[in-house]
Formats: sequence, C-alpha cells, structure tokens
Amino acid sequence: MTTVNTREIVLNILMEVLENKQYSHLIINSVLDKFMYLGKSERGFIKMLSEGTIESAIELDYIINLYSKTPVKKMKPEIRNILRLSVYQILHMNSVPDHSACDEAVKLTIKTKKYRNLKGFVNGVLRSICRNKDDITYPSPEIKYSLPEWIANQWKEQYGEATYIKMVESLGQESPVIIRPRYDISKDELIKSLNDEGVSTRPAPYVDKALEIYGFDSINEIKAFQRGEFYIQDISSMLVGLIANPKEEDTCLDVCAAPGGKSLHLAELMHNTGKVLARDVSENKVDLLTQNFIRSGLTNIEAECFDATVLDDSQIEANDIVLCDLPCSGLGIIRRKSDIKYNMNLNMQDELVELQRKILAVASKYVKLNGSLIYSTCTTNKKENIENVRWFLEEFPFEPESIDEFLPDELKSDKTAAGYIEILPGIFQCDGFFIARLKRI
Amino acid sequence: MALRTIREMGDPILEKKCRPITEMTDKIKTLIDDMFETMYEADGVGLAGPQVGVLKRICVIDTREEGEKVCLINPVVIETSGEQTGEEGCLSVPGRCGQVTRPDHVVVRALNENMEEVEVVGDMLFARALLHEIDHLDGVLYVTKVEGDLKYVSDEEELPEGE
Repeated sequence: MTTVNTREIVLNILMEVLENKQYSHLIINSVLDKFMYLGKSERGFIKMLSEGTIESAIELDYIINLYSKTPVKKMKPEIRNILRLSVYQILHMNSVPDHSACDEAVKLTIKTKKYRNLKGFVNGVLRSICRNKDDITYPSPEIKYSLPEWIANQWKEQYGEATYIKMVESLGQESPVIIRPRYDISKDELIKSLNDEGVSTRPAPYVDKALEIYGFDSINEIKAFQRGEFYIQDISSMLVGLIANPKEEDTCLDVCAAPGGKSLHLAELMHNTGKVLARDVSENKVDLLTQNFIRSGLTNIEAECFDATVLDDSQIEANDIVLCDLPCSGLGIIRRKSDIKYNMNLNMQDELVELQRKILAVASKYVKLNGSLIYSTCTTNKKENIENVRWFLEEFPFEPESIDEFLPDELKSDKTAAGYIEILPGIFQCDGFFIARLKRI
Repeated sequence: MALRTIREMGDPILEKKCRPITEMTDKIKTLIDDMFETMYEADGVGLAGPQVGVLKRICVIDTREEGEKVCLINPVVIETSGEQTGEEGCLSVPGRCGQVTRPDHVVVRALNENMEEVEVVGDMLFARALLHEIDHLDGVLYVTKVEGDLKYVSDEEELPEGE
C-alpha cells in the first residue's frame, strides 16, 4: 500500500497559502480533516512543518538566497516551496536529521515531474545550507523573525526602536493556549478535571480565572472541552469583557460578534440575566454563533445577521453597553496567525480605518445616555486605535472613562486612567490589543 | 538483498489467491528482506507477495510508527470494528489514489518471520495497511473498493502545462 507523503501534503498547503494567498488556518484544518486516518505523529508533523514554514518564510527565503544563484522570487513556485519546507526542517526541527530533509526534498522534486531535472539544484542548495547552518547571521531582527519590512517600519515609527525590538522578539516566543472556565464552573474544579485527563495547567497572567493549558494533542480531544466546561480565549479578549463590565440586567449589543467569544463573556458576566444581542454581517457566521450560544446553555444571548455599517432605528439609545470589536489589520496577533503579516498592507490599513469610523459612527447612536461604547481591535496600528478614539470623541457626545478599576495593578498606567489600554506584544504577556471605554454623555 | 520488480494492475498474478507458507526456508528469508527493501525504495507502507510475483500468503508493512513494522505470514483477520474513510494508494497502481472506507480497528493473527504465532492489533493507518495487504493475498485490489473516482495523485499528469 502507499499512503500520502506528509511533506507532499505540506507542499500543497504552502502552494495554497504562500502562492494563492489562502488563509493558513483554514487550509491546514481542512487538510488535517481530510487525512483524519493518519497517525498522531504524522498529523502533528504536518501541522508543525506547515505552520512553521509559513511563519518563517522571510527568514527561510533570506537563507535560501544566500546559497542559491537563482533568487527565490525567480524560482518555480513548487521548487521554492520545497526548499522552504526543507530549510525549515534543517534549521528548526531537531527531530529530522539533515540528510533526510535533503533526501525527502529530492524525492519531492522528482514527484513534481515537471521539474524533476532540478533535483540536483535542490540537493546542492540544501547541502550547502546544512554545512553552513551554524554560521548564519541575520542582517536585522525583522529578517530573523520574518517580519515584513513595512510592519517593522511602522512599529519603529510608532513606538521607537527599543520597544520595537521587544515587539519583534515576541514573534519568536511560544503562545500558549489560554482558556476561560464556563461561568458556573470554578477554576479549581476545572483544573482538577483537566489534570485527571492528563492536561496540565498554569495560571495565566492578568486575569484571575484564566488558565494556560499544556500537554494535549488536539483541543477537541479534551473531554472537558467536549463537555463545554471552558472556552478558548486569549487574555486580551477576556480583558475586553472585563473592561465592558456589564451589570446584571444590562442590555448589550455586540456589532461584530463572530466568532462570539466576547459576546458569551458578556452574557456570562451578567449571570444569564439581561440581554446580549450578537450581530454579524455574514449569515454563515451567524449560524455558527447561534450554535455556540445554544451549546453554552445561556438564555440571555441571541445572534442576528445585521450589517454594522447600516443604522438600525430600533437600536437607537437602547443599550447600556455597545461592543465594537472591529475588523482591523491584526498586527497584534501575528504570533498566532502568521499569514496576516503577508496579506495585510498600508492601503488596506487605511481602508480599515475608514470602515472602523463608519461603524463607530453608527454604533455611537445605539448607546443609552450614561451607557458605554467599548472599542477594541487586535492591532498595534495607532491610526486604527488611539487616533480613531480621538476622532470619535471630537465627533460624538462621549468622554473617556478610566478603566483602572477593571484591571490588575501591573496593567494600570496614565493611559488606562484616560480610558484606554494599548497592549503591545512583547511588552505585555498576551496578544497585542487596543481597548477603549467611552461613556455617552 | 535485491530490489524486486513490482507487478502492476493488469498483471493476472495480482488477481490470484495465494497459498499458505508451511515452513521457513532460506528462499523465503531472502524474499522477506527483498520485500522490505523494495517497499522502502518505492516509498510504500506495505507490500504483499503477489506484488513481487510470489503467490504466497506473506506481506510486509511499515507505517512508520512504533510497533507498526511487521512481516506477516499466513495472516488472518480475526476481528474488526469502527470505520475510517480516507485516500489510499497501491504500489501496483502507480500514480493513482482513491477513497476507501475500511474498519479503523483490526486484530490479525499470523506467523512472524520466525514462524511464531503472533497477534497484531492495528488502528487507523496501520489497520488500513493490514487490511489492504491481506486483500492482496486473496487477489483483491483496492480499486474494487474505491468510492467515487480513482484519481491521479498529481494534477500535472492530466493537465500538462504549456511551458
């Protein structure tokens, strides 16, 4: 019998993500679903190699260019991706001996049929990288950590060189999976049931109830997860709910809710009283939201399809809390979703600012007098963050509210006293985020 | 050790029922070594006697996980359960693959290369390989079990690019 070659699967993933600009997590998950019958170690290998190669593509291309006469850009797409995935194994996967990385690359090159005559080239480039791998130096941290130049420049410009170094270095750090216990389950109960099935836990920073979890293959195999006893949510996203701080019987509107974690958090914080309306512009996402909400067992939350840029008269001045967790350039979560960095650009950022302002202008109408609008993004870009807040405060009858009472001491600053928090990756121990609390006056 | 020629679909030997092996001989020892070598060279995870032109109930499997490298003589499936659906290919049907549904758990009784009785338990890919190879010993190719089309492994063969 023959079976699929795991590296060939990875090559196909890279062709979709790096050449055809598809979303990496969607492609990787659909491939892993298709090859359900493969063993755990093979599935783990596919995931690790494809995610690692995508994340490190700039570094890998730099190294390939050092040892190849043909620049990566001019290579046949199949060949450059075979080299990328092989150099990743040579540099970053101790479990793969160098010679097997090279041999497998040659096999893959032969399998492409069209370019089998390039097997000597592939072999030659890889062998010289193997010989020289301990002497490689990088001209800049952005190449070492595979950060596109325009993002590096924006970070330097907006935050200064010293902060930039910390931000870029954070890209090389592991990002643990963080969970939040369901409202009716205590943290200690959850720790016990996770430990009983071999999953270890550690306290997470900043948020009391949150836990980091380790030692599992796939989240779906954790029984406590199947029973719905916790949600996966990064600390930064939990802070959004805590800063919104809804009271029992409040009415909340989440204008861009998918995938729904923050809406659920609001519903939980109100102990299943009041009402959370979770909206999204896509029917498919609303279906998923509805399913998640039903599974949660909460009855104070509902999903609805509605475009956040369109004014809904029935919602005017009807909400205690309006959550605007808006589409953004995502530069705060590159560590988790590495393809963001390849697909975003300055023009798209400017278009996003316009979209954000359009939605904020509509959402401002939905807040009751003395109610609050919570604005959040998962990006570091000041234009999308604080500059939008300044614009908003000039245009609409709102004032910033201190968020200090919702935060642990280590997160408090003059900014939090002035109504917002700017969480930069590498400076704080969680995803990059921006959250502002603005009171309707 | 030597590489053997792999018989391809269309060769009538692949449709014949194989005979049991009654004693270990030097010839069969060499056959086992050759079958492993041939399988590894061709990048396969399993190979059965008829695929190298030997109508004997013998197969070798290595699905690359611990405990999943075996040589089985006169294997008999004594238990199956569950179901898995996935892509499968065969060294005797080069360049093609197809979707096959099989049990995802199987227990096989057989003799090992020392003619000692062994029981082998397989899940997922290993189970699939055990069932695929044992089918060969009864003259059954996986193409008769494919759901939908038998596909080309790479699109290039169907769609040559005009370069």
